[in-house]
Amino acid sequence: MGSLSVRGLTARYGKTVALHGIDLDVADGEFFVILGPSGAGKTTTLKSVAGLVDAVGGEVRIAGRDMTGVEPYERNVAMAFESYALYPQKTVEQNLASPLRSGRTGSWSVAEQSERIRQVTTTLGIEHLRGRFPRELSNGQRQRTALGRVLVRPADVYLLDEPLSHLDAKLRAAMRAELKQLGEMSRTTTLYVTHDYQEALALGDRVGVLREGRLVQVGTPQQVWHEPADTFVARMFGQPEMNLFSADLTADLAAVPEGGTAARSRRGGITVGVPASLAGSVAGSVEGGAAGRSVLLGIRPRDLEVLAGPEPSDRLVLRGRVTVGVPASLAGSVEGGAAGRSVLLGIRPRDLEVLAGPEPSDRLVLRGRVTLAERLGRLVELSVDVAGEAVIAVTDDQRVREGDPVSLAVPWQQVHIFAGGASFDTRNGAGTAAARLGAGAPVSRGMAAGEAGGVGKAPAVDASAASGGDR
Amino acid sequence: MTRERQPGQRRFSPAAIGADVLLLAWFLFSLFPLVWLVLLSLKSESEQISTFFEFTPTLSNFGTVLSAEGARLTSVNFTDALLTSVLNCVGAVLVSLVIGVPAAYAAGRWQYKGSNDVMFTILSFRFAPELMVIVPLFVIYNQLGLFDTNIGMIWVLQLVTMPLIVWILRSYFQDLPPELEQAALLDGYTRKRAFLMVALPLVRPGIAASALLAFIFAWNNYVFPLILTGSSHTPVTVAVTRFLGGGGQAFYSLTAAAAIIAALPPLLVALSIQRYLVRGLSFGAVKA
Repeated sequence: MGSLSVRGLTARYGKTVALHGIDLDVADGEFFVILGPSGAGKTTTLKSVAGLVDAVGGEVRIAGRDMTGVEPYERNVAMAFESYALYPQKTVEQNLASPLRSGRTGSWSVAEQSERIRQVTTTLGIEHLRGRFPRELSNGQRQRTALGRVLVRPADVYLLDEPLSHLDAKLRAAMRAELKQLGEMSRTTTLYVTHDYQEALALGDRVGVLREGRLVQVGTPQQVWHEPADTFVARMFGQPEMNLFSADLTADLAAVPEGGTAARSRRGGITVGVPASLAGSVAGSVEGGAAGRSVLLGIRPRDLEVLAGPEPSDRLVLRGRVTVGVPASLAGSVEGGAAGRSVLLGIRPRDLEVLAGPEPSDRLVLRGRVTLAERLGRLVELSVDVAGEAVIAVTDDQRVREGDPVSLAVPWQQVHIFAGGASFDTRNGAGTAAARLGAGAPVSRGMAAGEAGGVGKAPAVDASAASGGDR
Repeated sequence: MTRERQPGQRRFSPAAIGADVLLLAWFLFSLFPLVWLVLLSLKSESEQISTFFEFTPTLSNFGTVLSAEGARLTSVNFTDALLTSVLNCVGAVLVSLVIGVPAAYAAGRWQYKGSNDVMFTILSFRFAPELMVIVPLFVIYNQLGLFDTNIGMIWVLQLVTMPLIVWILRSYFQDLPPELEQAALLDGYTRKRAFLMVALPLVRPGIAASALLAFIFAWNNYVFPLILTGSSHTPVTVAVTRFLGGGGQAFYSLTAAAAIIAALPPLLVALSIQRYLVRGLSFGAVKA
């Protein structure tokens, strides 16, 4: 047991810089997950903590002890390698006995060793494989053996490099559930690396998102899910990925009655109100107000709710527009008005819901036509064309068919707004990430406009469209 | 038993048959000296230079080579020469392994500025013809009192065996994932113990293969012992040629018998570690 503290950790391979100064504090007994795509530097971070990487800068402290110049075998850390790194010439039993026999993990009599190994292998469900060699195991069994070689011993820090990645889907879910309940895990500070966002959210006391050698965001699973620091984090979490729309900030008085700011997507299909605190933070960085600034709007597919099922009328489709109102209290603080500023709306597919019945006014409503309905068991993944914007939504409404007009609703607080840029490509955001604006997403209070406020009434829609066109 | 067809494998075609005939012809051509050698070693003294084929097999040549009669003819005891060769070659290979295995491990794991240059320098010992260094070596050996000693031969054979062992084993170590030793380090073992416990056992096939190759090269070396040994520590390669008679009578059938005896030890060694060899020679070349 022991805390882990990393300050300004850098690492390079030749001329390639793998880590650009990582700062990290993991409390005693905490389960910290590092999430990132391939090549982000996850494994390098673990190996640096373990002392296995040369050319490392910065400071690593384990249990308060500075690890600079300390050999790996004196650091009292255990690591499960992604490649398992099981000793091919040793059986499962001998592999697990290896750390116990080194003499640096306490003294273990032969009887104690075999008792401990029996406990761990039983926990991991590989007790019947103890006499086998690694080459005689499946990948899943090898991975559990590698995990066993970590759990079998006491250590200050456990370093786990994608320990569940090679298990089949069912076993992975089961192991994920079991992993955190293991006594060893709950007692020992753990640094866990994965590229699976579900694993990160399910296991982590806290999650750090790593991108190209930098920690982009560190927070609880709730924080990284609900308040992604930028579009990169927003897209890392959730499958399907968050919908992102390039939008411009405009002073859209018709849409936002209380003199606030609105964000209208480039194709004009989506307009959201922007909290003034956000608009202000944009304005603060640019002289002459926020008008014309581009932003990104993010909406998770899961946050979208299908309001009405199949509707025969084409009328709704033609008027399929999205307007998000800006809370007046926030918009009011923008000097000279925020009109013309661009924002980016983020809505998670899961945040979109399919609704039936009258449209509630406390939500953003998107109308469009289903272009693709992928039935994935209980859930259906919808691609909806909303006035030219492709919106992904997830629903359990099995009645939705391709070609159907639908209305999608999302609570205001689940629309994310990121700094935009003319160059941002919402379809292929790789290599770029836009930072989140301000502290919160649009809120329902003061929200106005477009179809959202119009509750399906045609005039509201037209007004929104017209005023958008004027500016 | 059904067999999968290999890529590129075809049914019989005129071209394939033609190629086989050509290969067979080449096979006979290249094998003929060996056949001649065996025939010659079994011929009597009168038959050996006969201009028409005459053959009544006899093993007497082998007896002569190994007996005092052979020693009288050549002033070198062939049995002693065999022992000297075994001693020299086993000694040279052992020394090369003791120094070369850690060197190969370091070369395979530690990439530093100029590491490739060092490896190239080691390999370059094999480029130079032995004759190029033999004159200075002869002078040095005389000065140091190493002329005509086993220690001297073992030392000079390092030029033959060491580069071979270092180069072959380096690629074996490079093929081992470094995570294996890293896992051992984190298990609490020092670098030395990680090497001995994890890396070394895994390159055993490579050690067997490279040691055998080094042994054969050392065994067959001729120029170094020819110049650097006298009559008391003559190895077998030089002893064989003594039967051709330096200025005196040439005993062709005795030479053939001696050559066959001289070829037996490497053959026996190769057969005894064949199990490792086939795997070892391919393991380094093709990454699994």
